[in-house]
Amino acid sequence: MQMVPATPSDVRAGEARKISVAQVLVYELRVRDAMSKPPITAAPTDTLRAVQHLMKARRISGVPISDGDKLLGLISIEDIIRALDKGYIDDHVQQHMARNVITLRDHFSLVRAVAEFDRHEFGRFPVLDGNDRLIGVLTRGDITDCLMQHLERRAEEALAHEAALRAERVADDAANRVVVRAHVRTGDYDSAGKLSQRMRQVLRERGVAPEIRRRAAVVAYEAETNIIIHSLGGEITATIDPDKVCIEAVDVGPGIGNVEQAMQEGWSTAGRLPRELGFGAGMGLPNIQRCSDKLEIKSDNKSGTTLRSEIYLRKAGVSA
Amino acid sequence: MKTPILVQLQPLMAALRAEQLTNNRPETLTGCYISDLLSDVLAHAEPGMIWLTIQTHRNVVSVAATKDIAVVLFTCGRKPYAEVIAEADEEGLALLTTPLTTFEAAGKLWEAGLRGKNGHE
Repeated sequence: MQMVPATPSDVRAGEARKISVAQVLVYELRVRDAMSKPPITAAPTDTLRAVQHLMKARRISGVPISDGDKLLGLISIEDIIRALDKGYIDDHVQQHMARNVITLRDHFSLVRAVAEFDRHEFGRFPVLDGNDRLIGVLTRGDITDCLMQHLERRAEEALAHEAALRAERVADDAANRVVVRAHVRTGDYDSAGKLSQRMRQVLRERGVAPEIRRRAAVVAYEAETNIIIHSLGGEITATIDPDKVCIEAVDVGPGIGNVEQAMQEGWSTAGRLPRELGFGAGMGLPNIQRCSDKLEIKSDNKSGTTLRSEIYLRKAGVSA
Repeated sequence: MKTPILVQLQPLMAALRAEQLTNNRPETLTGCYISDLLSDVLAHAEPGMIWLTIQTHRNVVSVAATKDIAVVLFTCGRKPYAEVIAEADEEGLALLTTPLTTFEAAGKLWEAGLRGKNGHE
């Protein structure tokens, strides 16, 4: 599409910035882009009745009269009505056609064409090219259709562009995603904190605020030790995105008997060994809850426990 | 949060009869927390603190690193295994050990002006 600077004389400098897409199109588009072509014409030797039939058949209200591509005149619906009224409808058009026809050039901008319509109050203009050849007819309806088509195309382009940007962002987020995953074995107290450590490293490299980093680390560490102490084994995954960390701890059982009770501080089912090591304070789940921005725990005796915690990286929350 | 009272660690080493186990040792401490329960430390310790405990296994390092604790002081003459010390060095954590009991060590720290969470007395 050709770009024409939208700086017509009737647009004041201050308003230039506010020009809508439709206004830009009116300046960009040319008469040749909007006109109907090839033109429906009649010959000078045709009868007015033949032109009347042509108008009816093609649903048009004016017909240029031409010899090949040379414009000779124009018959409008008013001429036909007058001919019917005065009884000369079977005369040849050349006896009655308007000869001083006002035309548009194909390279005129649509805004100029609109101005011509306003000035002359005609329903249509024959369109001539640079060599004075009749190449089309332009009506106000043609201008409207053309603008609507181009607006639609612009809108589609804008939507496609937006979709492309969105896809790019998704790809960008995917590229920026780091997933840290660890299998966690029952009673493997020596390995506790391995995942948490790797996650902390990534968060530190990404410049995440220390307070938020500590909260994520507490959640990961407590979730990991919960699997070690209480479950028959499981897996913990930390998905680190630019805007959040999602920590998911999934174990194979036996499930938390009473989640509500387990959320109470000081309540623990840990055995002797973990307690000797300093685990089983009954503070794991309360700690996780305090440090999470979003927390879901699903637990039953059949499928074990799934804990899903989210920590948002771009806002301040409770301190840890 | 109140600004923590910073206390120099170096002058305290003699009073605590502390032995430095790691290569790391921070200049200052922001406060002290005492617990042998890991989750309790995760819940209440603050960055830059010294943590007194009798637990010596490697989870102490994980917990301290998780909370950005500056120093772990093992009391009653306890010492962790070499792997644990190496891990602490990797994490930038300082480990000390003292023959004093937790109560005695805490007393020395209090005398030196160190306070608890948020500088509370």
